[in-house]
Amino acid sequence: MNPLLQFPFVGLGPQLCLGAGLLAALAAGMSQRLPRGFLRAVVLFVLASSTLLAGLTVPGAYGPLIRIDGLGVSWQFLFYLGAVPYALSLAEDEVPAALALGSVLGMALLAVSGNLLMLFIGLEFMSLPAYLLVSRGGGRSGQAEEAAVKYFFAGGLAGALFLLGMALYYAATKSLALVGAAGTMAEAGVALMGVAALFKLGAVPLHFWLPDAYEAASPELAGLMSTSMKSAGLLLLLRLLALTPSSEFAACLPALGALTAVVGAISALRQERLQRLLAYSSIAHAGNLVLGAGAWAAQGALPAGTAPLFFYLASYAFMSNGAFAFLRASGIGSRAELKGYALRAPLKAALFAALLLALAGIPPTAGFLAKLLIFWEAVKAGLWAPVAGAGLAALLSLGYYLGLIRDMYFEESRAPSKTPIEVSAAFSGVVWACAVPAAVLGLAPWLVGGLAGWLAP
Amino acid sequence: MAIGLDVMLTAAVVLALSCAGWLFGPKPRHEGDAEMPYETGEVPIEPAVDRMAVPYYRFAVLFVVFDVDLAFLLPWALNRRSVDLPQMLTMSAFVALVAFMLAYFWRKGALECR
Repeated sequence: MNPLLQFPFVGLGPQLCLGAGLLAALAAGMSQRLPRGFLRAVVLFVLASSTLLAGLTVPGAYGPLIRIDGLGVSWQFLFYLGAVPYALSLAEDEVPAALALGSVLGMALLAVSGNLLMLFIGLEFMSLPAYLLVSRGGGRSGQAEEAAVKYFFAGGLAGALFLLGMALYYAATKSLALVGAAGTMAEAGVALMGVAALFKLGAVPLHFWLPDAYEAASPELAGLMSTSMKSAGLLLLLRLLALTPSSEFAACLPALGALTAVVGAISALRQERLQRLLAYSSIAHAGNLVLGAGAWAAQGALPAGTAPLFFYLASYAFMSNGAFAFLRASGIGSRAELKGYALRAPLKAALFAALLLALAGIPPTAGFLAKLLIFWEAVKAGLWAPVAGAGLAALLSLGYYLGLIRDMYFEESRAPSKTPIEVSAAFSGVVWACAVPAAVLGLAPWLVGGLAGWLAP
Repeated sequence: MAIGLDVMLTAAVVLALSCAGWLFGPKPRHEGDAEMPYETGEVPIEPAVDRMAVPYYRFAVLFVVFDVDLAFLLPWALNRRSVDLPQMLTMSAFVALVAFMLAYFWRKGALECR
C-alpha cells in the first residue's frame, strides 16, 4: 500500500494548512521588503482554507492520537471565525502573525485529539504563543509584561495539574485514550484535568489572570482570546466531561458556573477602563458556559446536546469581537471618554449599543436566545439554584451594559483626552460585520435545531 | 477521602520540616568578618553574585532548542538502515523544520556576537 496514504493527511488538512501558513509567515519575515498587507492576506487565506478543509474532513480515527468527529470539526469553525478580526489587524511584523497562527494551530490540534496526551499538546501549543502575544501588547510600560508573567505562571500551574490528572487517569484505566471510565481515581484524574480547562475559561477561582491579560493586550488580541481561546477551553472541558459525566466534578460545575457569573458581573460594575470591564463580562459569560457544560453532563453528555453551547459560543464570537473592534475603531479606552459619544459619532454609538444589548441578553438579540437555551438545558436537568444564580448575574450585568449605553447617550461629553488606543478606521467595518449578526441571529432559532444534527458524529 | 487524608498528611509533614530548623536550630550570631565569602583569607575583590548579561539568555534558549533537536536525531541516525519510507519522510520533515528555524534565526541576526 502506498505509504503516503498511511499518513492522516485527509483528516488533518486544516492543521497542515495552518502549519504551512505559520512557516509562510516566518519566511515572509525573512525577506527584506514585503508588499503592504501581504501578511494580512496570507493569514486570512490560511484561515479561510482551514475552514474549507475542516468542512471536507471525514470523521474517523487515525491512529491512537487523532480522532475526528462532528464535535471537533464544528468547534474548529468557532476557532477560525474568532481569529478573523485579529488577522485583519496585522501589520508588517511577522512575529504576531506567526504566534497567532501557532495558537490557532494548537486549538485545531485540540479539536482533533483522541488521546489525553494530544489534548495536552494542543492545550500547551495554544497557550504558549498567547503568553508571548500578551507580552507584546501596547499600554503603559511594564503593564504588558506583568500581565504576561501572571498569565504564564498561572497557565504553567494549570498545565502541571493537567499532567497530574492524566497520571491519575492512566493509573486507573491503564490507557490514555479518550474512552470513558468509572472509579474514584479516574474521576479524580478528570477533576484535576478539568481544573486546567476551567483555568483557560476564566472560571472562578482561577480567573485572576484574565482581567490583567485582556487589559494589557491590544483590543483585537483580547477579542481573539475571549472568543477562540474560550471556545478551546470549553471544548477541552467537554471532552473531559465525556469521560466521567456522572462524577462529583461534573456535579460541581453548575454551581461553579453560577458563582463565576455573579463574581464577573459584580466586578465589572466597578470598572472604569473598558477593556477591563469587557474582561470581567467575559468571565461572566464563561460562567454561563460552565453552567451549560454542567447541564450537558447531567443529561448524559451526548454530542448532539452541545448545540446550545455551540450557539452561545458562535453568538458570543460576534458580540465579543464586535465590542473589542469598536474599541479599536473609536479609540475609546475608559468610561469617562465614552460620555456623550452618541453626539460625536451616532452610527458607531448605535452599533456599540446593539452589541451591548446582545451581550446583556435583551430580546430579540442572539445573546438572549443563547442565554435562554443554556438556562433551558439547565432547568431540564433540574438545576434550579444555579440557574437562579446565573439569572441574578444577568440582571446585575444589565447594570453595566445599560450603564454604558446611558453614558453614550445621556451624559455630557467631555473633551476627549489623549488615549493609548490608536484609532483604526478600517475596524468600523468589523464592528458592522459583528453587530448585525449579534442583533439579528436571535430571530433565527431554527438554526439551533440544524446544529444538533451537524454535531452528532 | 483517602486522597484528602494523604494531602493533609503531606502538608503537615512539609510544614513540620520547614519549621523544625527555625525552632530547634542554633540562633544565628552576626560576627562581622565571619560572614564574608571565603577566599582563602584574601579580601574579596568583587561581589560573588553579580548581574548577568541578558544576551546569554538568548544563547541558552537557542542551545536548548537545538539540543532537543539533536536528542531526537541521535536514535534515528543510529538506526537509519532499518527505517522504512514513512519514517524517513517523517524525520526528514522534522529536520527540514529545524533547518528552517536555523535559517530564520540566522537571517534575523540571533546568531551574532556583539
